[in-house]
Amino acid sequence: MNLNTLYNLRWTVLPPVVGVAITVMAGLALVSAPTEVVEGDVQRLLYVHLPSALASYLSFGITAVCSALFLITRDFKWDAGAQAAALVGLIFTALTLITGALWGRPIWGVYWQWDPRITTTLILFLIFAAYLVARKSSELDNERIARFCSVYAIIGFLDVPLIHMSVRWWRTLHPQPIVSRLDPALPTEMLLVTLFSVTAVLLVAVWFIVLGVEIELLSQRLLKIKGRVR
Amino acid sequence: MSAINFLFAGFAVFWAGLFTYLIVLQLRIRTLRTEIEQIENDQESDDT
Repeated sequence: MNLNTLYNLRWTVLPPVVGVAITVMAGLALVSAPTEVVEGDVQRLLYVHLPSALASYLSFGITAVCSALFLITRDFKWDAGAQAAALVGLIFTALTLITGALWGRPIWGVYWQWDPRITTTLILFLIFAAYLVARKSSELDNERIARFCSVYAIIGFLDVPLIHMSVRWWRTLHPQPIVSRLDPALPTEMLLVTLFSVTAVLLVAVWFIVLGVEIELLSQRLLKIKGRVR
Repeated sequence: MSAINFLFAGFAVFWAGLFTYLIVLQLRIRTLRTEIEQIENDQESDDT
């Protein structure tokens, strides 16, 4: 499936698919998944916390790729993709931090710890919040700010592998990887629900990015029309 | 607050966040489309 096909499905196939996936995910996470023995029901937050984190990595990855493609081609459709994905990434990073805080309070006794993974995730949030503020508030011409922000986004994305490796490199409250390894440490039922939740939330992220691209393309078109009218 | 409340708070924030953003996206798309249509209609009527 190419990108144009995906874009054309944004109001037809994607809404029902995403709707069904996210509803089934809620049912599996809150009802079907077995209760964890040590943490109890609050461990079910895994099914929104982990997918949100992965959705933010995917979104910022798309931002970095689109930024690189913009620098190579100077085609503003890639810039539109970068901006749309950055905003979606920011939302999922916020959801990761909030659901993590709500999970941390009953388990660790605190909402917030300056733990390496949480801190690097907060830095990721701030990096891309600055990216979006720069995009919207800069007085540089469109081409220059797009170029500057593309380079910034590619450098900013380097924080994602840092977040991933933080649990291996530093002492942290977060567990070592439990899913992304050859022998996942989760029981099969929990693993299946986790994988389904990840798929559902990634679908939501992709749909949001596609809708965001439509907004950016409409904004670019509006600017052109207004320029012609003047 | 008991552990179960944290679970529901987490899911509520997650769902509310997604729905709110979806509504924001749809409203923004509708506003932009309307604005573009209006300008194009004005241009057409000016031309005739």
